[in-house]
Amino acid sequence: MIKFLLKGLLRDKSRSRMPVIVVAIGVTLTVFMHAYITGFMGDTMEMNARFSYGHVTVMTRAYAEEAEMNPNDLAILNTQELLDELNTQFPDMEWAPRIVFGGLVDVPDQTGETRTQGPAMAMGVDMLSPTSREIERLGLEKSLRSGTLPSSSGEILISDEFALKLGVEPGDQATLIGSTMAGAMSMENFIIAGTISFGIELMDRGSIIVDLDDARMALDMYDGAGMILGFTPGGYYNNDESIARAASFNETYADSDDEFAPVMKALGQQGMMGPYVELTEVWSVLISLIFILAMSLVLWNSGLLGGLRRYGEIGVRLAMGEEKRHVYGSMIIESVFIGLTGSVIGTVVGLSFAWIIQVYGIDISGMMEGASIMMPSEIRTRITPPDYYLGFIPGVFSTVLGTALAGISIYKRQTAKLFKELEA
Amino acid sequence: MKLAIKLAYRNLIGAGLRTWLNVLVLSFSFVIIIWLNGVMKGWDYQAKNDMTHYEIGAGQYWHQDYDPFDPFTLAESHAPVPAAFKKEIDNGNMIAILKVQGSIFPQGRMLPVVLRGIDPKQGILKIPTHQLDTVTDAIPAIIGGMMAQSAKLKKGDRVIIRWRDDNGTFDATEILISEIFSSNVPSAEANQVYLSMKTLQDMMLLPEHATILTFADAHEPRPDISGWVHKPRHVLTKQVDDMIKTKTAGQSIMYGILLLLAMLAIFDTQVLSIFRRQKEIGTYVALGYTRKEVVMLFTVEGSMHAVLAAMAATIYGLPFLLWQAKVGWTMPIDTSQFGMAIAQTLYPVYTVGLVLTTVLLVTLTTAVVSYLPSRKIAKMNPTEALRGKLQ
Amino acid sequence: MAFINTTTFSQPNANALLEKVDENMASENRISESTMIIHGRRDSRTITARTWSVGTEKSFTEYLSPAREQGTKMLKLEDQLWIYSPSTDRTIQISGHMLRQSVMGSDLSYEDMMDTRKLTDVYDARLEGEETIGGRPTWVVHLQARVDDIAYHSRKIWIDTERYVPLKEELFAKSGQLLKQTTFSEVKQIDGRWFPTAMRFKDMLKQGDGTEFIITSIQFNQDIPEHMFTKAVLRR
Repeated sequence: MIKFLLKGLLRDKSRSRMPVIVVAIGVTLTVFMHAYITGFMGDTMEMNARFSYGHVTVMTRAYAEEAEMNPNDLAILNTQELLDELNTQFPDMEWAPRIVFGGLVDVPDQTGETRTQGPAMAMGVDMLSPTSREIERLGLEKSLRSGTLPSSSGEILISDEFALKLGVEPGDQATLIGSTMAGAMSMENFIIAGTISFGIELMDRGSIIVDLDDARMALDMYDGAGMILGFTPGGYYNNDESIARAASFNETYADSDDEFAPVMKALGQQGMMGPYVELTEVWSVLISLIFILAMSLVLWNSGLLGGLRRYGEIGVRLAMGEEKRHVYGSMIIESVFIGLTGSVIGTVVGLSFAWIIQVYGIDISGMMEGASIMMPSEIRTRITPPDYYLGFIPGVFSTVLGTALAGISIYKRQTAKLFKELEA
Repeated sequence: MKLAIKLAYRNLIGAGLRTWLNVLVLSFSFVIIIWLNGVMKGWDYQAKNDMTHYEIGAGQYWHQDYDPFDPFTLAESHAPVPAAFKKEIDNGNMIAILKVQGSIFPQGRMLPVVLRGIDPKQGILKIPTHQLDTVTDAIPAIIGGMMAQSAKLKKGDRVIIRWRDDNGTFDATEILISEIFSSNVPSAEANQVYLSMKTLQDMMLLPEHATILTFADAHEPRPDISGWVHKPRHVLTKQVDDMIKTKTAGQSIMYGILLLLAMLAIFDTQVLSIFRRQKEIGTYVALGYTRKEVVMLFTVEGSMHAVLAAMAATIYGLPFLLWQAKVGWTMPIDTSQFGMAIAQTLYPVYTVGLVLTTVLLVTLTTAVVSYLPSRKIAKMNPTEALRGKLQ
Repeated sequence: MAFINTTTFSQPNANALLEKVDENMASENRISESTMIIHGRRDSRTITARTWSVGTEKSFTEYLSPAREQGTKMLKLEDQLWIYSPSTDRTIQISGHMLRQSVMGSDLSYEDMMDTRKLTDVYDARLEGEETIGGRPTWVVHLQARVDDIAYHSRKIWIDTERYVPLKEELFAKSGQLLKQTTFSEVKQIDGRWFPTAMRFKDMLKQGDGTEFIITSIQFNQDIPEHMFTKAVLRR
């Protein structure tokens, strides 16, 4: 029976082609839309994750208390030990130690005297280890305006605008004057490898990126880190999961009353990110629901249209004595196939589109004319697990529902009138 | 044409559920596009409005050395208020603000802050400066919610601030937090402590000095005053504009997909109509309709979905949109990290232009999508069509 | 006559007192070695240094330990201050807001070391009373700023009535708020003069245990070559 129906569907293109195309397009749109919303909505969150909070952050308890001041005197001092512990407990996550500190960039003239000076916010990130993904995470390659990325220790990146203000270029030497974690003045020479632009005025005005080990040297914090950011493997923030991870980690130290014991906080538990995370979730669900609803209506309609399309055929079948129940049943089974086929095709196509845009992004810089590049000039989708099954809800369910509703009319048709209808 | 519309209407209504499903989907597009755009407009409006009310007024003059990103410049970036503005200030149309560096010591911690002097009687900004006139033994001060949070301060708390006057002499005193305000403007709140202008000028030994002059009237021609830089409102709100631009760009892709969805339904419907109603088409031609007219008829019929959708959108969408404008939509965006003005709850703002553009856009798209399958009619052989033969 | 003498003796002129303290504390020049113990929130650090100075105008300090600070040099000439760091081979002039930074993480700022004017030149001194500190009787001298460009508007110094060395000093804000406190101890007789060899500095607005400063050796009136106080010496 099923084989027979499948053959019918395959051979009679009018029965299968248009409905499958419609379902496929609809499912494509649904899947793509969901990935798009997730990416679009999560954009700000991921930006915060990459720059400041990670998906989770490990700090000392004392540091966490005053985290917004970057109190490096309260930093983690046994980073490697802690990293090993984190890697054992969360083998699927990536960990990135960072040090954020303030300082003064001092540029010498030929005689070594100060030529210009400017206050800087510095971020120490691991740019040189071959396994580090920090360069990619911070989008440094893309933000590079001149010069190159640091390739050896002692090289730094400096924000483009700041470089202009100080009158320095890649290749120039600069001295970073800061204070060690103990508060003593420290000076360290650096070569400017390249200039970058983040598109966030606050950062572009005066920030530098230093390799983590250089920062440790400058701040006299051997094996230290202000914080260790943790990133989940999919690269997408999951609030519940991250909070659970943080809770399980903190459990280990629950008995300690050391104010320098490590504490883990999820993105949503830091700064002002909490309400934002919740709202993003609500918003994404809402928009997705609207879409799935709209899609369901469209596919329902398409099911109805499919029923109509075959009005004549069904008339013939009934006239030949086929039972109404049988005709109805076969139509439903056919619609299940159509729905499934369309959903599979749609999901594959939708995911492909979403993947392309996740990788390459949509360039909206054209729409951003006149804007300082303070906002990402690209929009990216983000594929999440629901994208693999979400399309099937409208794809199969609505198609079948539409067919079922349209099929009811079969029962209304009177055999006596069939021939008259067919004549017409 | 009138007949075409009448026929189209009857045909559509006759199709029953199918039509209403299409109309419903299409009306979603209307409501959602208008709503989301409204939220964006509302956001734009709110952000700029809050900035206007808590920080920038209708524009500002900055002391030429003032750099909001470099607190070290504060020591040099003040000067006596230019005589040219005295009258405007006396009339209450301009306020002078002095910004200096200081430290605050909540619970023995030291936090760097900016001390802002502001006239307690000012009426341009919504900051509750009248609370600076509170009579106490400590100097009354007000802070924003963000500052209260980071320094763990409450209303009524006493805390020591330390600063250095213009001579570099240290001074310190106890202040009383007489009010905490909430503004959605991070730059007006984070690390800012507001004191009475007179008090701060006395504290600093800087009588009559100011760092920023905020004016209330944008329309008055703004003279160039040497030593001061005029910052019109649109310059000060540029960050908001940029932010809105990105978000709008991101959303327009969403509208596009939504519209595509609706058009899928219309297209499908149109294709089927033309396929099923060949006899009807043949009849029209037999009755003397030109093929162009028949194409027109079907296009009108398809487009009428948009008209019905607009009506449906009015019926359920209008109350929704109005309700939204009243209670607001809580916006899932936190940009306080970037020092921008965004409230968590936004009140959508709908403009006539927005509604008209949306209606026009959706209707036009519908018309185009209805027309495309109808072109097939022009290629039909009327005799065959009349006989109902599939072509 | 005897009566007048007694009163003069028991209520000395405050300025004269400060002069006497100066005689003890100041010298033509000196070479000293010192240890600074900085009590942080987590741990304490010890820094040693050798300092050559002439009057209050010129001083040259070379840090000896810990390894990280070894070779760091600081030169003060009048109201200018330079720091040389061997790792960068650069000499940076400390000026403007950098002067407000703490010295090596201590409760002292560079600026605290910069005001070289004699106390009696910038403050009006007034004897306020007598107190006992650590078992030693002291005069309490109140200093009120006479000039405008000064960091601390008023000070209070507790001076040992017999040895003419300060035992405690408090620095006040214009409002009268206590900002910083220094206590002196381990007063020893060196080359015929009394000299406190241990000090503790504390920022009174901040939490913490402050900074200890211990002079481990000090020699007065030595032969210090003039080239010690040139910028060239920093890079040597």
